[in-house]
Amino acid sequence: MNGLVAVGVPLALVIRLTSIVATLMLVRHARACRWMAIGGSIVASVMTAVVAMHVIGSASAIDGTLFRHAASETELGYSVTPLSAWFLMVLALIAVPVALYSAGYFAHALARPRTAAVGAAFNAMVGGLEVVFVADSVIGFLCGWEVMTLATAALVATEHESRASRRAAYLFLVMSHVGTGCLIAGFMILASSAGSLSFPAILSGHLASGPMRDGVFALFFIGFGVKAGLIPLHIWLPAAHPAAPSSVSAFMSAVLITAGIYGLFKVCAFGLGTPDVNWALVFMAVGTLSALLGVLYALTQTDIKRLLAYSTIENSGIMSLGLGAAMLALAHGHSTLATVAVTASLMHMLNHAIFKGLLFLGAGGVVMATGTRHIEQFGGLMRRMPWTGLFFLVGALAISGLPLLNGFPSEWLTFQALLLGFTSTPGLVRLNFPLAAALLALTSALAAACFVRVFGISFLALPRHPAASAAQESPGLMLGPLGFLATLCVVLGVFPGVVLRGLEGVTASLPGLRPAGAMAWGRLGMSSTLTSFDHIAPALFGFALLGGFIVATALTTRRGLAVRQAPTWGCGGELTSRSEYTATAFSKPLLMIFGAVYRPTRQVDAVAEVSPYFVEEVRYRAEIEPTFERYLYGPLGRGVVRMARGMKVLQAGSLHTYLAYVLVLAVILLMWLGGTT
Amino acid sequence: MIPAIQDALLAAGAALLQAGGLLAVAPLLKTVIKKMKARFQNRQGPPLLQGYYDLAKLLRKERVRSDVASWVYVAGPRVYFAAAVAATTLVPVLFPVAPLEAAGGILLLVGTLALGRFALATAALDTGSPFGGMGASRDMTIAALAEPALMLGLFASALAAGSMNLGELVRTLVQQGINRHPADILAFAGLFVIVIAETGRIPVDNPATHLELTMIHEAMVLEYAGPDLALVEWASAVKEVLYLTLLVDLFMPVGIAISAAPVAVLVAIVAWGAKVFVLAITVTVVESTNAKLRLFRVPELVSISLGLGFLALAIRFL
Repeated sequence: MNGLVAVGVPLALVIRLTSIVATLMLVRHARACRWMAIGGSIVASVMTAVVAMHVIGSASAIDGTLFRHAASETELGYSVTPLSAWFLMVLALIAVPVALYSAGYFAHALARPRTAAVGAAFNAMVGGLEVVFVADSVIGFLCGWEVMTLATAALVATEHESRASRRAAYLFLVMSHVGTGCLIAGFMILASSAGSLSFPAILSGHLASGPMRDGVFALFFIGFGVKAGLIPLHIWLPAAHPAAPSSVSAFMSAVLITAGIYGLFKVCAFGLGTPDVNWALVFMAVGTLSALLGVLYALTQTDIKRLLAYSTIENSGIMSLGLGAAMLALAHGHSTLATVAVTASLMHMLNHAIFKGLLFLGAGGVVMATGTRHIEQFGGLMRRMPWTGLFFLVGALAISGLPLLNGFPSEWLTFQALLLGFTSTPGLVRLNFPLAAALLALTSALAAACFVRVFGISFLALPRHPAASAAQESPGLMLGPLGFLATLCVVLGVFPGVVLRGLEGVTASLPGLRPAGAMAWGRLGMSSTLTSFDHIAPALFGFALLGGFIVATALTTRRGLAVRQAPTWGCGGELTSRSEYTATAFSKPLLMIFGAVYRPTRQVDAVAEVSPYFVEEVRYRAEIEPTFERYLYGPLGRGVVRMARGMKVLQAGSLHTYLAYVLVLAVILLMWLGGTT
Repeated sequence: MIPAIQDALLAAGAALLQAGGLLAVAPLLKTVIKKMKARFQNRQGPPLLQGYYDLAKLLRKERVRSDVASWVYVAGPRVYFAAAVAATTLVPVLFPVAPLEAAGGILLLVGTLALGRFALATAALDTGSPFGGMGASRDMTIAALAEPALMLGLFASALAAGSMNLGELVRTLVQQGINRHPADILAFAGLFVIVIAETGRIPVDNPATHLELTMIHEAMVLEYAGPDLALVEWASAVKEVLYLTLLVDLFMPVGIAISAAPVAVLVAIVAWGAKVFVLAITVTVVESTNAKLRLFRVPELVSISLGLGFLALAIRFL
């Protein structure tokens, strides 16, 4: 086992590479190349998981070399720190069920000639992400980052005959590369003063000071914020995640965004020295904004995958909020409080990966069965797809932060961090904490409304479309991973202490934190450092709920009670799916109440040919204003294009002009050099 | 090991007693409010035991299940009931101890009530009736708006006492005596508004109407009949007692039994009953002297409560 741990990371990458090559060679044999890609991915992910669990358990990093070229003295090393191990563990935990699901999904829902390309790109994406998590120098990090980005873009463009997919991939590439550009600039500034490209040297925390430090922070915040999907850098995410095949979307929403979170942790929070109070406030503000706007936009979506993508933005915001609270605590020197907040953030990352993976895979099965992503055309799926429905319900309960499921403990811990922050921070800054807590409460209640809507409209009552009434349950190979993730939701919800134990080593390895062993007590529960402030023991509470449920069941199913099946009262008419409440109607009150955010526009046209009194057709169009696209990116994009047009004057296409430029430049350089010597 | 088991049994026994007690009292409170409201309107009102008669009648009736619905429809009221019953074990009533305070505090209580609401709203969508959808949509909307105000109000009290655990919180308050801070008035007013919103009372919702334009909670449970409806009604009544008890705990824990002496317990029962009764009168007065607000005016009411909660925090700690 120890030998495996020592070579696990390079071996996993080699397996991925081999599987990519083999997949591409077997391109004519759809079945063989599917299993090649999936088998390689699973074996490599399991290997990664072994290494990650070892590092988390022992809380000491594993270092090694990935690649060495003696002649040029180039060496690419890797280092699995406890923090990277946590992210690797989440990656492996989701990658394995996603790969298994893909085995069933690709066979049914993917055009055969594409299997090889999608399988290879999926492996490349996961491999690139692994390199990002383990790289110990800027070069390795950026290589992995770029492989991951390009592979993701390829996956987003899987259905490249649709214009929407191509646009999504393009938008993704543009935004990602703006982000990568910021990262390269930030790394170059740090590397030039460190004189080295290795992370320990670059992130030692005392390389920049004053405005320069703030500038570097801003570059990294934008660079990683794009990947994490934080508002206002999020615009690519709701377009890109739904466009990919469903199993890939699940991985992207659950794990890929954590690449951004990882960067925010490693560099912004713990790599630039003690965080500034203003940075922490930026984090908290952006986190709260992303959480609230993310869920508000999710509420009005009718495309199920787009809805889940917006909800990913929400959860990314919650993770950043936790991290922001930790940074504020660090800025004030409260190491214990910072530990609580970091734990909350990392725990939510794990939990989000699990339930978001589950929901996306469940949605994938529904989309495959009905052939549409429009929730207004689902309905009644609980009867046709009982298992998918059950697992989706578990995911919906978990993401709404309800007790006994895994969304609750991490949101609880985030609340603890915010409230403890209030009690132990001086001055007016502390009022940010209850404000953020109130908005977090609003966010989680809105998430509950959002998921009542998705689940209720999609799975309950009557089918709203022939496609929904003909839906078939997904094959076992796809249901298995769903069941696994749903079980994890319940287990980690009932025994959250397990996760805290795992996180102790991770937090201990981060500078400035002091983990309090008392946070996880027994196997039953967890507390926020002080048991007297607050604690939860969901397992214990489970008994109370179970007791209540048994009493309720006994009251309603006593012997001798008659049960009658009857049609639902249709208000005097026949009840059809047309009289059901729609998803749009469900979110209408919130749409009107938050009208200032949505700024909805509605257009109703009555088409009449003969007389305006004999309407033949009514056309209805409603949309909410894409605020960021219109007011931020619109002017920005136009500005860039205008600048490019202006520069066209320089690039006239005449060789003589270009030669003149060279001459003028040479003269200027000579004059400048002459002036300096 | 033995003391641990003893403690566990004691907690379980206390939890059973408290849940049973609140379940028994809840229908009475509902009828009392109904009766007082009737008096306001110069009517006689129902007899005091009407709540129990109604429940007994509903529990004996046959169950009607829509042929469109799935198991979610059946599970909804049971989870709603279970959540309300489980929530009773998290709140101190007669003693400054919540039976299951080892399981969690305020956030778990709020989460549990949210679980019940989620279950009922989901189940309401299952029959295909437009009423269910309408009710679910409105109920989730109002709950979402009320949540931040509820949390802020609770935080204001919890941070003052230095604990989010209700048992611990009440013990601290009892130790401090009646020495209260003016900010408590603001926090109380804020929370009272939320209690009205969460229990479906005028001016937010009208418990006595079945008019589709105005109903919220009643629309959500319109398709239920017999024992299923009994569960919903009973759980709603328990929730109401629970919210009023919460207000009593946070703002006027006077008279709570500090020892297990019979006299102290008797005093605690009388004090608790009197305080809840006073709050019930207030609820009745508010309900009888106000008109129901339009749905889209509710956010204004709730934002007043949010503002009060925030002010309470600011006054107290700045």
